[in-house]
Amino acid sequence: MKIVELSNDELCLSGIGELDVMLGGGIPTGSTVLVVGGSGCGKTTLCMQFLLNGAKNDERGVFFTITEPLFKLTKNLEGFDFYDKKLIESGMVNLIDLRIISERLGLDTEKYTVEDASALLDILKDIAEELNVKRLIIDSITALCYRLQTPEMIRDFIFKLGSSLAAMKCTTLLTSEVPPKKFQYSQYGIEEFISDGIIFLGDYERKGDLIRTFQIVKMRGASHSRTKYAMSISSKNGVELAPLLRSRE
Amino acid sequence: MANVLIDGLKDRISNAIVSNQSIGIILPGSNYPDLVQSLFEHIRCNPDEAWVYVTVNKPCENLFNEFEFLEESKNIRFIDCISRAAGISIVKNNCVLIESPTMLEKLVLEIMNTFKDVDVKTKKFLVLDSLTNLIIYNDPEIVTEFFYLIMNRTRAKNIHIVSIAVEEEDLDKYLNRLIYLNDKILKVRDSFI
Repeated sequence: MKIVELSNDELCLSGIGELDVMLGGGIPTGSTVLVVGGSGCGKTTLCMQFLLNGAKNDERGVFFTITEPLFKLTKNLEGFDFYDKKLIESGMVNLIDLRIISERLGLDTEKYTVEDASALLDILKDIAEELNVKRLIIDSITALCYRLQTPEMIRDFIFKLGSSLAAMKCTTLLTSEVPPKKFQYSQYGIEEFISDGIIFLGDYERKGDLIRTFQIVKMRGASHSRTKYAMSISSKNGVELAPLLRSRE
Repeated sequence: MANVLIDGLKDRISNAIVSNQSIGIILPGSNYPDLVQSLFEHIRCNPDEAWVYVTVNKPCENLFNEFEFLEESKNIRFIDCISRAAGISIVKNNCVLIESPTMLEKLVLEIMNTFKDVDVKTKKFLVLDSLTNLIIYNDPEIVTEFFYLIMNRTRAKNIHIVSIAVEEEDLDKYLNRLIYLNDKILKVRDSFI
């Protein structure tokens, strides 16, 4: 397959130096990317940094959380240098609790019917359109899929969401929770086939210490690296990547 | 005698590092304290140079207690790989703590980040103290891979490396392999002067 060279406005820069290099510049704009990993792998931090870096570059963003209350989310962010409260106050970054939206829509918070899912999809699209966002995060798609009752509903929901946002040139990251040390991309085995890209975050054990790893498994439309990297998260620089040393693997 | 030894070492290091990108110093354990002292003396006498000192041997706190001027020195920053593993978590302005000496990738990132703030025109130097201790905590193959990586990264940024290897009978085959990756080797012996 021939990879088309994309110009800068067709690429959504993560602002994380090494990641953009691995992607050949950035994520193709409008892509839906699954950020997969077990607990503590850095999914939320990676997504937040992507969102805030975009906002610093005049790209408005929205973060839908289902797994964490907003006050906890912002409290955890305060420790990072990439976090800028003003971006949230100015509306460049919007943090929304999806459970509150579900409640306000009168949806059953545990299980969605087809109509519920359709109503939720509409509201997500409306918010994205109204705020004119160029970056959107759902943390996590696993928690959302749990409420969708059949594989067909999951497939339909993600496909429609991805298509609508792509039409708005909005790049979307969906976090996917998987059990630790398992090389699988999603709980339901559907999400990865509808997504344009997969970023896999894992752990690598060395002498009993856990080293975070980062790997781009798939990114449609980009000539990307598939090398496994070591990922570090620091308050000063957020997510950083370095080649993984693994002589005896 | 000790001062003559230290001055001699200081001169040898100063001369070697000017003309070589990387120097490896291999020495018996008995000469190690003299080497460290001469290195710090050199750093103190050259305030225009920028040094990053990676310690896998002694916690930063010990070095600061032994060489009091280090805490105030503006031209040296420490990356301490041993304190946290030893349960010490004292925070110092010019010292970054790494969780464990096995976190070699994190070490690479910290080294490069520390040099990021240094002016391009400033002469930059990195000390790895020591390869012996890195091998004690890691598989030798991983340390070799780490050493290649850090050599290549620092070369690209014109950073000179001083790597220390304290002779250890069981580890000598690995240390010799590693130390010879340097451009210049200094073998320190009690009777070298």
